[in-house]
Amino acid sequence: MKKSIHSLTPDRRTILKGAAAVGALQIASPFVIPVWAADAVKIGIANPLTGTYAATGKNEQIGMQLAAEQINAKGGILGRKVELLFEDSTSGDAGTAVQKTRKLIERDRVNFLVGNVNSALAQAMAQVSNEKGVLHIVPGGHTDPITGKDCKWNVFRVCNTTRMEANAVSTLLFKTYGKKWHFITPDYAFGHTLYQGCEANLKKLGGTVTGNELTPLGITDFSAYLIKARAANPDVLVVLVQGNDMVNCLKQISQFGIDKQIHIAGTQQELEAVEAMPPEARVGVWMFEWYWKQAASQPGLDQFIAEIRKKSGGKVPTARTWFGYVTIHSYALACAKAKSIEAKTVAKALSDMELPPEVKLQPNKVFFRGGDHQLMLSAFIGQLNSKGDGDPENLFKVNSVVAGESIAPSIADTGCKMQMPA
Amino acid sequence: MIDLLLFNATNGLIIGAFYALMAIGLSLILNLSNVINFAHGGFLVIGAYLSYSLTPYLGFWGALIVAPFLTAAIGFLVERLLIRRVYGRDPLYSLLLTFGLAFIIEDGTRQIWGALGKPTSIPAFLSKPLSYQFFFITGYRLFMVAIVVLAIAVLFVLLRYTRAGIRVRAGTLDLETVAALGINIRTLRSLNFAIGIFLAGLAGVLASGQLGLEPTMGDGLLMPSFIAIIVGGVGSLNGTLLGGLMIGVAAGLTAVVFPSASDAIMYVIMAIVLLVRPRGLLGEEGMLT
Repeated sequence: MKKSIHSLTPDRRTILKGAAAVGALQIASPFVIPVWAADAVKIGIANPLTGTYAATGKNEQIGMQLAAEQINAKGGILGRKVELLFEDSTSGDAGTAVQKTRKLIERDRVNFLVGNVNSALAQAMAQVSNEKGVLHIVPGGHTDPITGKDCKWNVFRVCNTTRMEANAVSTLLFKTYGKKWHFITPDYAFGHTLYQGCEANLKKLGGTVTGNELTPLGITDFSAYLIKARAANPDVLVVLVQGNDMVNCLKQISQFGIDKQIHIAGTQQELEAVEAMPPEARVGVWMFEWYWKQAASQPGLDQFIAEIRKKSGGKVPTARTWFGYVTIHSYALACAKAKSIEAKTVAKALSDMELPPEVKLQPNKVFFRGGDHQLMLSAFIGQLNSKGDGDPENLFKVNSVVAGESIAPSIADTGCKMQMPA
Repeated sequence: MIDLLLFNATNGLIIGAFYALMAIGLSLILNLSNVINFAHGGFLVIGAYLSYSLTPYLGFWGALIVAPFLTAAIGFLVERLLIRRVYGRDPLYSLLLTFGLAFIIEDGTRQIWGALGKPTSIPAFLSKPLSYQFFFITGYRLFMVAIVVLAIAVLFVLLRYTRAGIRVRAGTLDLETVAALGINIRTLRSLNFAIGIFLAGLAGVLASGQLGLEPTMGDGLLMPSFIAIIVGGVGSLNGTLLGGLMIGVAAGLTAVVFPSASDAIMYVIMAIVLLVRPRGLLGEEGMLT
């Protein structure tokens, strides 16, 4: 049939093909901030700047920029200026993340690699960095294998493992709120390992799981799962979803009034998500990986908060800002200790290296465990503060700060068999 | 178990009504202009952010009314400046255009309002469940359904009884003849596009009461709307309405027995409909070749 100008229509197949392409919406364009100079130490960062994790990626970026400025103000790394090269890894496309990683290593010849917020992307990047022999720190991807069964001599991690998160809150929840738990778990690597950790702890303590709702990533409506969860009548509803899913889930929990009938809790909670919630949705017991308002004064903490405020439009630092800050400082400290920027030497210096007070910004000993290259950072356990108790920025009431060493599984239990190159 | 199924079926209807609102806007544009608007989720986000920014000045109710109109005005401009240039071209052009537009809107909102989500509240009397047993029926969700019903009723009345509405319906069937009868189809299409975007803006304002407001909020809602159109039948607004309700209920019921498949069930329904009745449940044969 010949089509006239007004009746030229897309056929059904075109609509279908188009509909399939809509999932690709989150894949975004390349975004590079090149900073060039001769003889600088180049740090390549492939982290999300667009998509679901754009907010968390951006905060890590701010922390890294602050650290680099501080290092350069004190003469750089071994007298060489530090330069940061940022690439947008996207929030979920491993192909793009790997391509950006290769570009940073092969074309830009970076001395050190950083990334990624997304666990799966972090794992994909680690394959490349290992193959190329480039030192690599994962600032904020939590799934266990990165410093567990897939651990590598060149890969270190700043944020917690999911198992550490589960260990941090399990006993407290069990003792305070009860032994019947119902889970809302995101259906991907991060959620699965986190659930396994919680379930194992709960069974060990003698509790029972009344159900585990596996929810697709990015789901907007949690009502069907919440109906099931309430029908199961648990003591605690454990919410393991993250990011915007967390915002949606807690918003709906509070509108349904479930928080008045069942204890709401979870493992990892992030300030980025809490800030996006209305006050009534800020409920439950959680763990933060770092929190800005601390009971005891820490050297350098006030200055860190003030510097971050300048860079983030007046906002307080989050755990993500701290991850970025620690990542760059750790590298610089290890280079200084090794008196070299050669990857293997720096990796050895980084193993078992303890962070100084002005970098760790928290109580307890914080160090990169040599056996699995996992940072032993404290867990900040407490309750969400719906109104901030007179300080609208203070959205979390910290009850205890537990040392990382005490919640981390033993190296044998992580499954990591670290082999350092000769 | 029966309780659970009943609960979830009712709950599914509530969600389905919301899908339908968005899908009908999409469907209007598709029917008259043959443009598959991938930026529809983007316009939803614009509506939501506008209401967020307007709330301090106009209050919740003022923003609820004003934000969709502003969104429609933006939609009108976009149609005048961009969309109309691809009418009459291969559908691929409009796909590419609206696809690009979706990116621009997403990163544009991120530039203006920031990547971090924004806290949105609803009036306290709406944010409570109606009864202890039916805790999932909150005042706000009933209110959402009422607004959806109202918006759709008004739309159907407009389409049936007003001159412009009758022209839109006639144009859906045969635009060439409508043009030949001396009707200005350029204006008609602009108006129609703006109405479609109005519905997206309204959906955005309503959604931000329940969901976290952030630049990618529209992504998760766009797909079910497409599926609602395909299941219901391209060219039929009744079909789109039915399709939206159907997938809402199906997703709700699936969550009872097999939660992780509650997203996938929509695609399964779409596949079955396409195999058994390719034109969609209420679609007319040959609407789209």
